[in-house]
Amino acid sequence: MNDDIAFWLSYLTNGKHLAWYASFQFTIFAALMGGGLAVVFGLTGATLKNSRFLPLRLIGTIYSSIVRGVPDVLFFLFFPLAFEQAVEWVVASQICTPESIAAQTSAWPPCKEANWFLGTTEYLLLASVSLGLVYGAFATNVIHGALRSVPTGQLEAARAFGMSPGQVLWRIQIRQMWVYALPGLSNVWMLVVKATSLLSLLQIADIVLWADRLGAPNFLPAVGLVHEDWRWRYYLVLFVFYILVTWLSERAFEAITRRVGKGILSEARV
Amino acid sequence: MKKIMLAAIAALALGGSAMAQETVRIATEGAYAPWNFLDESGKPAGYEIDLAGAICEKAGLTCEFIVNDWDSIIPNLLAGNYDAIMAGMSITEERLQTINFSDEYFPPDPSRYVALAGENINFEPLAGARIGVQGGTIQAAYAQANLATDNTVVSFSTADQAVADLSAGNLDTIFADGAYVDPIVSASNGAIEYTGPEIMIGEGMAIGLRKDETELTTKLNDAIVALKADGTVDSLIAKWFDGRGPYYSE
Repeated sequence: MNDDIAFWLSYLTNGKHLAWYASFQFTIFAALMGGGLAVVFGLTGATLKNSRFLPLRLIGTIYSSIVRGVPDVLFFLFFPLAFEQAVEWVVASQICTPESIAAQTSAWPPCKEANWFLGTTEYLLLASVSLGLVYGAFATNVIHGALRSVPTGQLEAARAFGMSPGQVLWRIQIRQMWVYALPGLSNVWMLVVKATSLLSLLQIADIVLWADRLGAPNFLPAVGLVHEDWRWRYYLVLFVFYILVTWLSERAFEAITRRVGKGILSEARV
Repeated sequence: MKKIMLAAIAALALGGSAMAQETVRIATEGAYAPWNFLDESGKPAGYEIDLAGAICEKAGLTCEFIVNDWDSIIPNLLAGNYDAIMAGMSITEERLQTINFSDEYFPPDPSRYVALAGENINFEPLAGARIGVQGGTIQAAYAQANLATDNTVVSFSTADQAVADLSAGNLDTIFADGAYVDPIVSASNGAIEYTGPEIMIGEGMAIGLRKDETELTTKLNDAIVALKADGTVDSLIAKWFDGRGPYYSE
C-alpha cells in the first residue's frame, strides 16, 4: 500500500508530469491576455460603431459582424500565419538585396535574412492577440449595446455641464456602461477560457498537448511506465480544471458587478 | 516613427537568423519509440536523439531538439521554424519534391501487418478489413493507393493511437514500420502477432532538410559517412533496436 502511494507520487511528479503542470501557465496567460485584449478591442470597436463619422462606423460594424462569423479555430490558424508572413514581407522589402533574393531557392520568404523564427513565446503572444481579436468582436457588440443603455438624461446633463464629447464618452458613458456590459462580458470571458484549449494548434506545448502525450499508450519499458490508453483520465483532469476556472470566474464577476454598480442609479442594478 | 519600427523589426529578424546559424534546430515527433520519444523527464530521447548528438559533435554544430506533431512537421520545416527533421522519416519520391534528405541513417526496413492473436485475416486478397495507419506515413500512402478500394483505411495522428485502437478491438490490423512494431509484438506476451506479408516500401530513413540548405546538408552527410564507417551508427542501432545489424561498417 505504502509502496503504491510512493510509486504514484513519484510517477505523478516525474519530469513529464511536471512539464504538464507547468504548461498550465500558458493556458492561464493566454486566457488573461486574450480576455484583456478582447475588452480593449471591444471598447475600440464599440466606440467606432457609435461614431458619427461614417467610415469609422463602418470599420466597427464590419469588424464585429465579420470576425464574429469566422470560426475561432480558423481565425486562430489564419492570423498568426498571416501576421508572420506580413512581417516577413515588410522586413524583406527593407533588407533583401537582389543577390540574397537570387540565392533564395524556396518560395518563401523572399530572402533568407527575412525569415522570422517563431518560438513558444511569439506563438503565445500571437495566440493571445488572435483570441483578443475574435472575442473582441463579441465584446464590441456587448459594449455597443451597453453604451446605448446608459440613460440619455445622464449624457444630456454632462453636455449641459460643458463636457466635450470625449469627456462625455470617458467620464459618463463608459463609466456607467459596465453595469450593463458585465453579464455579456462574463459570457465572452467564458468563451475565451474555452478557446485556450486550442493553443496546441500553434505548436505550444499546452495542457491539452501534454494530456495527449501523457495519456498515449506506452508499450516499451525503455520509454517509461507501460500502460494502455489513459487519455480519458488526463482529459478528466482538464475537465475539472476548466470547471474550477468557471466557478472562480463566476465568483469574480459577481464581485466586480457589485463593485461597479455602486452609486449608479439604474434599473440594471440588482 | 515608421522607419524606426521597421528598423527594429529588421534587427529582430536579423538577430533571429544569426542565432539560427549557430544552433541547428532539429524537429522530432517525440511519439515514435524507439526512434524518438519523450522520456520520464519530458525530454526527447531515443535512437535519433543519440545519433543527432553524435552527428552534431562530429560536424561541430550545436543542435537542439524541438518537438513538433508529425502531421505538420514538413510544413513547419518549410516555414523555417526549424532546420532539420529527424523523426523516423523515410526517403520517398513524393517527399523529395518538397524537401531534401541527407544520407540514410536507418536502412530500408519492410513494413509489417500486425493483428490481435487468433485473428485469421485473409490476405489473398485483403478485403473488407479495417486497417489502421499513422496519417502521412509511407504505410498510409501505400494503403491509400493499394488497399483503400476494398478496405477501410483509418488514419491516426500517432502510431501509438493506432495500436491502442487495435487492442481495443476497433481495427482488424495495423500496417506500420517493422522496426516500430517489433518491440510491441514482443512486449505484448503473444496478444499481438505478425500477420500477412512483409512489404518493402521507402528507401531508408534520413534527415529531412530544406532544399536551399546545401551547406548544412553537406556537413551532416560528411558526419553521417564518418559515423557509419567508425561503427557508431551500427552500435546505436544495435542499442535501440534489440541488437539489429550491423548495416554500415565492415
